[in-house]
Amino acid sequence: MTKLRTSVSAFTLTAAAAIGVAGAALPAFANDKLVELSNSEENWPMTGKTYKAQNYSKATQINAENVKTLKPAWAFSTGVLHGHEGTPLVIGDKMYVHGAFPNPTFALDLNEPGKILWQHKPKQAPTARAVACCDVVNRGLAYWPGDGKTPSLILKTQLDGHIVAVNADTGAEFWKMENSDIKVGSTLTIAPYVIKDTVLVGSSGAELGVRGYVTAYDVKTGAQKWRAYATGPDEELKLAKDFNMANKHYGQFNLGTSKTWEGDAWKIGGGTNWGWYAFDPDTNLFYYGSGNPAPWNETMRPGDNKWTMTIWGRDIDTGEAKFGYQKTPHDEWDYAGVNVMMLSEQKDKQGKLRKLLTHPDRNGIVYTLDRTDGTLVSADKLDDTVNWVKQVDLKTGVPIRDPEFATRMDHKATEICPSAMGYHNQGHDSYDPEKQRFYMGINHICMDWEPFMLPYRAGQFFVGATLWMYPGPKGDRQNYEGLGQIKSYDAINNKYDWEKMERFSVWGGTLATAGNLVFYGTLDGFIKARDTRTGDLLWKYRLPSGVIGHPMTYTHKGVQYVAIYYGVGGWPGVGLVFDLNDPTAGLGAVGAFKNLANYTQMGGGVQVFSLNGKNPYDDVNVGEWTGKGG
Amino acid sequence: MNITSRIAGVAAAAALTAAFASAPALAYDGTNCKEPGVCWEAKPGYPEKSKIAGSKYDPKHDPKQVSKQSDSIKQMEERNKKRADNFSKTGRFQYDVSKISD
Repeated sequence: MTKLRTSVSAFTLTAAAAIGVAGAALPAFANDKLVELSNSEENWPMTGKTYKAQNYSKATQINAENVKTLKPAWAFSTGVLHGHEGTPLVIGDKMYVHGAFPNPTFALDLNEPGKILWQHKPKQAPTARAVACCDVVNRGLAYWPGDGKTPSLILKTQLDGHIVAVNADTGAEFWKMENSDIKVGSTLTIAPYVIKDTVLVGSSGAELGVRGYVTAYDVKTGAQKWRAYATGPDEELKLAKDFNMANKHYGQFNLGTSKTWEGDAWKIGGGTNWGWYAFDPDTNLFYYGSGNPAPWNETMRPGDNKWTMTIWGRDIDTGEAKFGYQKTPHDEWDYAGVNVMMLSEQKDKQGKLRKLLTHPDRNGIVYTLDRTDGTLVSADKLDDTVNWVKQVDLKTGVPIRDPEFATRMDHKATEICPSAMGYHNQGHDSYDPEKQRFYMGINHICMDWEPFMLPYRAGQFFVGATLWMYPGPKGDRQNYEGLGQIKSYDAINNKYDWEKMERFSVWGGTLATAGNLVFYGTLDGFIKARDTRTGDLLWKYRLPSGVIGHPMTYTHKGVQYVAIYYGVGGWPGVGLVFDLNDPTAGLGAVGAFKNLANYTQMGGGVQVFSLNGKNPYDDVNVGEWTGKGG
Repeated sequence: MNITSRIAGVAAAAALTAAFASAPALAYDGTNCKEPGVCWEAKPGYPEKSKIAGSKYDPKHDPKQVSKQSDSIKQMEERNKKRADNFSKTGRFQYDVSKISD
């Protein structure tokens, strides 16, 4: 304990010194210690690593030349099964690990990872499980560094709808609020996101007709600061006075109700946000996507269904939206628009340096927008087999739909690409700012779709479609393999440098490093490393279970480690984890992934790697019980 | 032109007209916007937005069910406010609102 206290205070001093330096360089943003923590390769203090959400590390100790010698260093089991999404966090000497429902949290000592410093194990109503659409997953933790008066905190969400702050040093609950109500089908799987002294929380439940909202809480007290909805009247949408002023053709005011919905359908209209966030301290905007409209049966909700399926730029202090671009007006395919937002600064085709956000959507289009005002810069297909849309008109912003691949009542649509699982889903990808390339984990799944009528009852599923999913045209439709791809993408020149097929979806996302490496986990139970320049497979390791999170990396006492969760599940794993056989069960995922069980089984834990497996237990006496005699 | 060919001609024209009439709707391609951000169109044979009520695709939403979410959120917000206010006042967090004195 003495040793721990010393190391913590030493870390705090270092951090304080670093902040002092930053304070001089960044006067406008000196209050955010997270920015400085995230710029150190010793920490991974938030999802995406930094506010740019690039999942990128400058560390080069592990690189394309020596990655062959990467070996397991140590591992930790969370003690729960089901899908393990997201990544652990590392701050200073501690790793914070989270698990699937019932959402335990563990703090591990990086100097002696066998030691669990504290654990937080919530008691939750088991009925929460019954209203989770797509396995009982959770995407991660957030960290707030403390301010001297209030201790540093770990923020976590629970499936039963609570947002909880726990003391980062002790694990004791600090505050706990109700964000979502499982009685109306509303759950939480999203990771919280800390910006300044605010913690953002999203929402889940569009498959049960939940109207989406994002909420800001005071990280110190849990008091609600503001709440913004995805549908409904402008004041509840929280639109700024100059909303979409730079792109009036996107639509502006009074569109969240009767103009794009019929009657009160917007009140059960979906648009939940359960993906990822990014933040730009200069614009003071945070960026995220709202999800699919409800129900999946398109005939029951005529209209553009705004503002579901929208890329938002909102002011963190007021919650007001500066811009909103709807990617999939009147969704007919469940292309929930919640995917990752990665920020970059690149010169456009005219040579003008722009602040951008890049977002690979479920609908098979990767969008790049000017993040200061929402202007479209590019919108490219993730794969040339996308067919519901011919192209996105960059001038008008509208997707030019192909009616052949639309869905409607009394009609079974076939061969739609992407499927409802999207050509990209919840994975958090990476961006290499040196090479200016995005490394994207992609799905290659298409579908048949037939809607049916159904009533809305609060707390019950409200889907209204039967789906059959199968590999895309480049996969093996006889053997149900070839369901994934990984690609290197250039958003400015609209091209892919390389593309590689995978047996299953690359569901969890990627990590890029300055060592010319891109790491990712696979559903069939491997962590892999490819050369970012060529896509060549350089290394892989067989994990206990499939992966649906993404890797992270940190340097501790001079050693670079790569860590990844194992524990298959999520939507692609529902057949395996709930033992389902009907191909249309699990919202159609069971059929597509019927082969998964031949490659992996459930699990739950973290596996950590280093060159030659170097780790704290190389000194065999570390962590030994020495008895009274010492 | 004899009768048969005239009939055939009329039939062909009718077929053409029908095809033409349904073409814009069939081609709901998202590009015909009534105003910025409002580009939805009914597919051929499917009701307009204002006419879905009463059609065979009427969702027949029960207003009581539809209002349950906003009621639930209002109550959660009230409970949370009590918790946060009490926390700020006393410095001690109490989740159980029945134990918070007004």
